[in-house]
Amino acid sequence: MKKIIIILGVTLLLLILFKTVESDFPEYNPNRSYVDLEEEILEAFILAKDSATIELPEGHFLFSQALSIDGKKHITIKGKGMDKTILSFKGQTKGAEGVLVTNCTNFTIENLSIEDAAGDNLKISESEDVTIRNIRSAWTGGVSTQNGAYGIYPVLTTNLLIEGCEAIGASDAGIYVGQSSNVVIRNNKAFYNVAGVESENSSAVEIYNNEIYENTGGLLIFNLPKLTVYGKNVKAYNNRIYNNNLKNFSVKGSIVSGVPKGTGVIIMATQEVDFHNNTVKDHATSNLSIVSYLVFAADEDPEAQLDQSIQDRGIRAVESDYESDTEYNAYPGKISINNNTFDNKFWFPTFSNEYGWLMLFKNKMKIPDIAYDGILPEGASLQDSEHKICIGDNGVFNFVFMDAANEFKYFSNEVTPYLCSLN
Amino acid sequence: MKNYWVLPVILIFSACLACKDQGNKNIAPKAKKITSFKPLIQKELSEKEKLSEYEFFKLPLANLEPTGRVLLYDLNTPLFSNYAFKKRFVYLPDSTKISYKNKGVMDFENGSVLIKNFYYPKDFRKPDQEKIIIETRLLIKENDLWKPLNYVWNTEQTDATLNYVGKEEQIHWTDNTGKKRAVSYTVPNLNQCKNCHLNGKKITPIGPTAAQWNKTYALALTDKNQLDYFNEKGILEKVVEPALRPKMPVWNDALLPVDHRAKAYLDANCAHCHNVEGSAKNSGLYLSYTQQDSRKRGVFKPPVAAGKGSGDLVYDIVPGHPEESILIYRMKSNDPSIRMPEIGRSVTHKEGLDLLQEYITTLAQSN
Repeated sequence: MKKIIIILGVTLLLLILFKTVESDFPEYNPNRSYVDLEEEILEAFILAKDSATIELPEGHFLFSQALSIDGKKHITIKGKGMDKTILSFKGQTKGAEGVLVTNCTNFTIENLSIEDAAGDNLKISESEDVTIRNIRSAWTGGVSTQNGAYGIYPVLTTNLLIEGCEAIGASDAGIYVGQSSNVVIRNNKAFYNVAGVESENSSAVEIYNNEIYENTGGLLIFNLPKLTVYGKNVKAYNNRIYNNNLKNFSVKGSIVSGVPKGTGVIIMATQEVDFHNNTVKDHATSNLSIVSYLVFAADEDPEAQLDQSIQDRGIRAVESDYESDTEYNAYPGKISINNNTFDNKFWFPTFSNEYGWLMLFKNKMKIPDIAYDGILPEGASLQDSEHKICIGDNGVFNFVFMDAANEFKYFSNEVTPYLCSLN
Repeated sequence: MKNYWVLPVILIFSACLACKDQGNKNIAPKAKKITSFKPLIQKELSEKEKLSEYEFFKLPLANLEPTGRVLLYDLNTPLFSNYAFKKRFVYLPDSTKISYKNKGVMDFENGSVLIKNFYYPKDFRKPDQEKIIIETRLLIKENDLWKPLNYVWNTEQTDATLNYVGKEEQIHWTDNTGKKRAVSYTVPNLNQCKNCHLNGKKITPIGPTAAQWNKTYALALTDKNQLDYFNEKGILEKVVEPALRPKMPVWNDALLPVDHRAKAYLDANCAHCHNVEGSAKNSGLYLSYTQQDSRKRGVFKPPVAAGKGSGDLVYDIVPGHPEESILIYRMKSNDPSIRMPEIGRSVTHKEGLDLLQEYITTLAQSN
């Protein structure tokens, strides 16, 4: 009898342990009772003539395949609200996307939810004058690597507005704008994603009034090599970016797999970024980082040793990669960080990645509010006009110059060289 | 009594199973079929409702016996479509001709129609006996543009009806080894036609190139070349002399070198998207038969935006290591978010996969 009690006790303990290990991940479990109106809705998408409005009724509609629209003008797709009209692609057998829009002009989609696509929930490619309004993109259940990559994914698109949307559970980025120009991303929410909101290789982008929380990384402003266009001129303001400490659940090898959990904002290899009047707080790795492509790609393997991770493998591999792309600028510059509020509920940096360890040893155990890797191309010098980083009045904050190019030799908290303004 | 330790193990194990179960996102839930109270859009259609209205085939239609200006043609290396057989025809309006081109799709005049029938013989060892025709796809040239239309055959096999939204059918057959096979066959919807047939922003045919047509004609009594046959029939003009014609290798002709066959296979199955103008242009992976750059062909090329399609592998092709090559991983997979080609296939093409594995294995030896 005693034995049984002990054994049951051990079982319980193991179960509790198991639960605490396994239940890191949050869940999104809305009530759904699906109906099948697939043929009718699909037919409407396919046969819609220019200037048509497709009004979708209330209901939880289940699809076995992607809904696609190609080469049309002035199409509007409207639901009855993101809690009422649900387009679910759970278990889809054909196509990777949920809703796929290609080569359209003046396209609007609003007031509905798109859920559980095998790949991306809403992908809009090579289109112009696009509005995405009050759309909820979600993967239901516990967040998982099995979830699709991008929630709301406009790419190669010009004149784009994303507003009032919610992005939940993407295994890459919740709201992801790629290779686009003239973009407004406002009044959205992103949570339970690997990256909350990401602007990649896009220009003339304004990101404001968004709430970005409980992702692995909050806001990413990225420029990646070997793509058709490169981005610059990104403004981000009045955003609330907090508590992005979710364990990274992306696919190995993806660029976001290198985003350490506990990251508020990363500005990577992008020129002309104006980041002001935001609140960034409660991140276990770093509130805001300004980095080159080199240091970021070097972080691919979070288990790697600190000393070799940046110098040995990473940089070499990355160098050969970006140098063959003569159009690409791998370094950030003309960055302004002004009037933001930084705060942290964490007392110690996370030990789950090498940044945390670095801060533990080099930054008196503080988590940086603004970290700059300080890696420059050959022939450039810190704070020259092309690589200027200007940090204005941001209240009380911890600044870190990492000097990652020299094995952190001149690691410093001295912010004075960066007190400037771009104009 | 000593085996009490089993209990916690089982409990933990079942807890694991429970959480795994919850994590499986690939199972479609049930959905009740409904109809909408009012139409979602206004339809105004002018296309022919039935295949028989075109009069491409004599009655009974299912014999696929062509009428006057309808000609059978064949390709060296076709696209794999779930083991379906294909019978291809071209319809040419009176006094129109096809213009030969050495490179790319040959020139067709307005009014021309390419007709492709998809069918399964009940027994692949007797391909000319009982069969089931599933769909007939048309590419119609109108106002210098190609328009796709699709007709799905009825169960009685008497006619086919215009279909825009696609369809799923369960198909059964006996394969060449006598084994019973089954597949869930997908008739594509109208937008999916573009997935393969879009070149730039225009829809184009894929098959009718000189290289694909350069083969012995299927029906002629002589060993005549298909191009010569059409030329002599007076429907193909500007044909160049045999020595100057390109030729696509036959992918399963064991007498040909493996790399030629593999490249032909990749051309037919991948290059319609994986070319500089195709819908996969952003991938940087270009698989046309004529592509010479080995990195663009995938050798040690990292994926651009494969997402989970990369299967945690680093390169599209690792010479000598098919098991480490993303290309093989995606050819093997039947998961819609991983598999390649993305559409038109729901079972693995074992014979094609074998060829590509052999190709990648031998790539190492040639380096």
